[in-house]
Amino acid sequence: MNTTEIDPRSALRLSQVVGSFKLPMALTFAIFALSFAPRIAGNSTLMYSFWGASAILLLWQGFMLIHLARRPALKDFSRAIYAQHYVQAMVQFSVYLYWGYYWRPVYDHFWLLAGQVMFAYTFGMLLAWSRRRSYMLGFGPIPIIFSTNLFLWFHDDWFYMQFVMIAVGFLGKEFVRWKRDGRSVHIFNPSAFSLGFFSLILIATGTTDLTWAPEISSTLTLAPGIYTYLFAVGLIVMYFFSITLVSGAAAITLFGFSALYAALAGVPYFLDSEIPAAVFLGLHLLITDPSTSPRTPLGKTLFGVLYGIGVFALYTILGWLGEPTLYDKLLCVPLLNLSVIGIDRLVRRIKSDAVLNLWNPAWFGVRANVAHMVVWISVFGLMSLLGRTDAQHPGDSVPFWQQSCSAQLPNACARLVSVESTYCGDNAAWACNELGAHYREGLIVERDADLAYSYFARACELKFQAGCANLLQEQTALRAEPLELDLRLMLRQGGKNLIDTPAPELYARACSHDWAFACERSAAAGE
Amino acid sequence: MASGKKKRRQSNEVTTQDAVLAQNLDYQAPGRAVGITAMLSLVAFTAVFMSYQSTQLEPDDPADLAQSPVVENFALPADPLWGFVAITAGEFTMGSNPQRDRMAYENERWSSSQRQGRVELPEYFIGRFEVTNAQFAYYLTETESSSAALFAALDPELPVTSVSLPQMLSYARWLDAQLRTSAATPAVLREALKAGSKVTLPNEAEWEKAARGTDGRLFPWGMQPSDAYANVGGSSLLPVGSHSCEPCSYGLSDMAGNAWELTRSALVDYPFALSSAEALLDVDSLWVMRGGSYQDSINNVRTAVRGAVDPSVRNPTIGFRLVISPL
Repeated sequence: MNTTEIDPRSALRLSQVVGSFKLPMALTFAIFALSFAPRIAGNSTLMYSFWGASAILLLWQGFMLIHLARRPALKDFSRAIYAQHYVQAMVQFSVYLYWGYYWRPVYDHFWLLAGQVMFAYTFGMLLAWSRRRSYMLGFGPIPIIFSTNLFLWFHDDWFYMQFVMIAVGFLGKEFVRWKRDGRSVHIFNPSAFSLGFFSLILIATGTTDLTWAPEISSTLTLAPGIYTYLFAVGLIVMYFFSITLVSGAAAITLFGFSALYAALAGVPYFLDSEIPAAVFLGLHLLITDPSTSPRTPLGKTLFGVLYGIGVFALYTILGWLGEPTLYDKLLCVPLLNLSVIGIDRLVRRIKSDAVLNLWNPAWFGVRANVAHMVVWISVFGLMSLLGRTDAQHPGDSVPFWQQSCSAQLPNACARLVSVESTYCGDNAAWACNELGAHYREGLIVERDADLAYSYFARACELKFQAGCANLLQEQTALRAEPLELDLRLMLRQGGKNLIDTPAPELYARACSHDWAFACERSAAAGE
Repeated sequence: MASGKKKRRQSNEVTTQDAVLAQNLDYQAPGRAVGITAMLSLVAFTAVFMSYQSTQLEPDDPADLAQSPVVENFALPADPLWGFVAITAGEFTMGSNPQRDRMAYENERWSSSQRQGRVELPEYFIGRFEVTNAQFAYYLTETESSSAALFAALDPELPVTSVSLPQMLSYARWLDAQLRTSAATPAVLREALKAGSKVTLPNEAEWEKAARGTDGRLFPWGMQPSDAYANVGGSSLLPVGSHSCEPCSYGLSDMAGNAWELTRSALVDYPFALSSAEALLDVDSLWVMRGGSYQDSINNVRTAVRGAVDPSVRNPTIGFRLVISPL
């Protein structure tokens, strides 16, 4: 009988090798176990997505173990606890908590967030070990996952794409690198990298509807005072990581361009805000990764200004192409990351002491960042005082857009249709009937009898009698004043609907939105 | 403390061992080219997959649908007029006279001074039967509605119910377009459509004339209550035409009982008049339904009974039938 002597050193190593996989194994099984949570098990595709993710991670570990059985090597961790990661993660989580309190799908998403975080950790470990590196164990994956999900996540039936998106982000971080100041660093912000790629694909394939992106970008304002909230939590990040110049410059650029456009065109540039809330979120939590942004103060400022210009331009370009404008805040980040070395070089070339000293940290001594924050706080305070953040915005008012459209102001009719589409989607019957009338008349949109009919049908279902009349008589485009319920839906100013608002208050608010009939009713009630 | 030091020492040993082992291995860690290829493959897969998903989201080209040969009569009855019956032009008596009909409700009275009225109608066509699940499912399938499978799974012979007024009108609009363009449409119907008629729901007067004829009947079959000709006081819907009714005006089925039939008339006080679209704005959004259902007692299936619901109601006892009307 043949016997094979086992080298005790090899046996020991093999057991150690297997032992070093305890954490990724545990996380893989945790992902699998998570799939049985009611939130996930309730949708078979979602459950299979988690199973698929676990299976791929398990196969990867199996492959590594087979390989290591022949050539034993231990896999280990090095500790990498950075404030940059956990502070960012805590700030992002607080945004989820606040936003989710007013928009329930966010809380429903927590299980899926947990699964993604576990997947990200395991994927990162296996990737590092496959590259024969120690894994830097810290909080790094959490802000990547949180920041990705603050802008995009897939519907349950396509959730497996979320894991693909994470994988692309981590592969990009690992392999797409350059030498910067003598060190090998990743070029792209990992979340912005995958968001950018996926945005392009979703635009090109017209599959935005497979994601929650439109809802995500429009529901932030359901949380009251969201601008002030984001501003406040943004200050924490600014204080700890000196990114005030990036965020502040981006915000000031956008405020400036918006104000300039409004002054010239007579209508707001962005539909119902000076800076859309999702963009405001992005400029605090998406572009502020210190390792993928410039290092010099002037470079940071330029970076922020370019982001502001990028968002401003992309909003128009995407709208012009008929694509969802919500991608404006995502598409320009990878391009900006690519320009970082160029920006740093450009700044170094500036020989003017006057310019450089203005941005030199020494100018304010060690308190430079605090000084920048004071400027930013003043600007935000001023914008708030002018009613350009959380207060009522002219673009919230349907009559404003009706009047602007009548006056043929730039883009006003398209915006009117867009606003009415939003409210019709909210089940405001009046808005559906108006849309039907536009498409039947063909004055401000191309005539479309079938689309008109479907809008009238919706208005009729919502018990708007003019909608029913228009449904029965295909030659008419009758209009009527909004119902009380319509006002409760259309006066929300980006926030929650006004279902519980007393009628007098509702009509007073409608009057402040320039609904003439509401002013009459409000006045009559007051007499 | 000592335990912490031990752990740190072990960790250091592990790292050292790994480094030593690594030096002795001929295994090469995946390089940048492999990693970038893997990443781009994932991106390419995503692009192709999402592109495929987008084709799943897009409806078929309507041109393709239009070119498909029409070999069926849209699931309508296979008789010469595809289930439609001509109602000749002329006057009929509308509303109730409580002296002749003790079961009459107040809203059936013509006016404060008159119990009943006379209404003149031009010729029109009305469905012999209530619209069935089969017909409605056919329409939903042709228009690629997401609810087609739901209706296709129902008993095809039962009257379609649980649909709202706009859905009924959408079906009528679709059938109108089909009948106008199909070469197989019976000539009589095509002529009527060409002359300005359209497929729609009946108004109250059209429905009532078809139900009671021109001799002022209380029930479609005559003046006396009977359960021989109608599914009334029953336990469920029955396939359309289950109760044949030879004595009924114009030979129509289920004008009493089975399913309530929604009309295109808003609920307004008599005397009946054709309302302009503008006039509809001044009344509540309640729409008249006629004929009663299988759940009702005999007094609610009289030809003059007027029920009403709002336009979004989807009720398992409310269906409809169609007319081809010049009004």
